[in-house]
Amino acid sequence: MTDQPAVNVRGASMVFNAGTPGQVDALSEVDVIVDPGEFVSLIGPSGCGKSTLLRLIANLIEPTSGSVEVNGKSAKQACADQDYGMAFQQSGLFDWRSVAKNIELPLELKGWDKAKRAARSQEMLDLVKLSDRGAHMPWQLSGGQQQRIAIARALASHPPLLLMDEPFGALDEMTREHMQAELLQICEVTNTTVVFVTHSIPEAVYLSDRVVVMSAGPGRITDVIDVGLGKNRDEGTRENDSFYKKITEVREALRGAELGDGARGIEDR
Amino acid sequence: MSTAIRRFGRAAWPPLAFGVGFLAIWELLVRVFDIQPFVLPAPTAIWSAFTVRFSEVFDQTLVTGTNALVGLLIGTFMGVVMSLITVRFRLLEELVTPLAVALNAVPIVVIVPVLNNMLFGTTSQVPRRLMVALIVFFVVFVNVSKGLRQVSATHLELMRSYAASSSAILLKVRVPNALGYLFTSLRISAPLAVITAFVAEYFGGVQNGLATGVRSSLNGSKDVTWAYVIGASALGLTFYMISVGLERLQRGKQPADQFT
Ligand SMILES: Nc1ncnc2c1ncn2[C@@H]1O[C@H](COP(=O)(O)OP(=O)(O)OP(=O)(O)O)[C@@H](O)[C@H]1O
Ligand SMILES: [Mg+2]
Repeated sequence: MTDQPAVNVRGASMVFNAGTPGQVDALSEVDVIVDPGEFVSLIGPSGCGKSTLLRLIANLIEPTSGSVEVNGKSAKQACADQDYGMAFQQSGLFDWRSVAKNIELPLELKGWDKAKRAARSQEMLDLVKLSDRGAHMPWQLSGGQQQRIAIARALASHPPLLLMDEPFGALDEMTREHMQAELLQICEVTNTTVVFVTHSIPEAVYLSDRVVVMSAGPGRITDVIDVGLGKNRDEGTRENDSFYKKITEVREALRGAELGDGARGIEDR
Repeated sequence: MSTAIRRFGRAAWPPLAFGVGFLAIWELLVRVFDIQPFVLPAPTAIWSAFTVRFSEVFDQTLVTGTNALVGLLIGTFMGVVMSLITVRFRLLEELVTPLAVALNAVPIVVIVPVLNNMLFGTTSQVPRRLMVALIVFFVVFVNVSKGLRQVSATHLELMRSYAASSSAILLKVRVPNALGYLFTSLRISAPLAVITAFVAEYFGGVQNGLATGVRSSLNGSKDVTWAYVIGASALGLTFYMISVGLERLQRGKQPADQFT
């Protein structure tokens, strides 16, 4: 079990609207292996298929070809076993449920009893620094606060695999850094595997063990960068020389991916 | 609380002033031009006819009101049950929904006399209640079905990532989402129920109800007719206000920008 990869994507391609004028090659021949407890970020230009890859892993869509395995099982089985926690680009809170009840939703579906659910949701509220907002309705919170509740909901059941799609996009810089540190700590303690989509290079470098660089048209992986900043990151890490070096490395990989695209475009003409 | 009353007072005085002014001019015109009561009675005459015959008008209002209420409850219940069934079974939906939409365009009250003659005889209120239920059913069915279906894609994906069963999705996403649509459809169908109950009486059946009162008093002095009209207005307004109140109560839990 432990030597199984947490996520194993092999030769996965995704074509939307195949055979119609609106055909989109969202992903082509993608291979990703994520080890248990590893933190992997996906980074790349808009429309390069990051969300699509995440949705493939989450079993929300099925690949046109190739295979997806999670914890040694098919993605379908992993979903049925409730191995996933998800946070989307949109917070996706339920307007008719209080903030606390939103956090408790995945726990309800797992059949936790009421007292246990309430205790956990309070714990999660404390974590995202919204301790006294449990009884509020989601639309009474700011956009960033809503996003924090959505993250709390994704973390609430301590899922073995956390899939996050730009979860911190709507947060201010300080809250963002705080949430990043908290996320790292939770994953450390619970040994959670994370696949994390982001547009921010420093965020990817700070959080990840590995950064996967993608490019568009068709969506594919162009680079994988080992970050190697170690497990014990703190505020000091952000001012490290090696931190800046890695940022530069990822930036150059991203630029390289785009230049590659351009060169190919010229050849095509 | 007192601010709520004051706000209500501020919102209420323009229509109130308009109503009082309108009645005053009406009264004046009838007196100045000496219009006969069987053409157009004065408001004071209507009011005195109304107070004299209050118990009679009240009884007939109760008859029509009961028909409307029973039909409204049955129609709402059937509409909700039917939309829940069709959301679970796709095939049934493709069968029923176009039919419901098409039937909705037909003025269905005209079959009341047929029901009277063929099925229930002329001593039953059932055909009238059936008509109300049918009309209400369509409104509720179409709206609640929409509410059950138009759920956010993110919510659905979230539930699927939790491996939620389709009945869990129904219970935790679709039904709560449809609640607002249900109350909106009630606001639309409540006055419709009163109108249908009223119109259905014109098509024969038992000799009671508000419309029957209006019709049978048309030969004599019109102030009695207008007394029944007061009853009908009061009934329609009551239904409307209760349904609006229910909708407000439900919307109190929703974000403000969903108010329309
Ligand atoms: N359901 C769909 N039907 C058709 N095309 C789709 C669908 N979902 C995604 N696509 C296309 O697939 C490509 C990749 O989309 P995806 O959402 O994965 O991009 P992304 O990398 O997450 O972009 P962003 O950073 O802007 O979120 C896009 O060109 C998009 O138009
Ligand atoms: Mg995306």
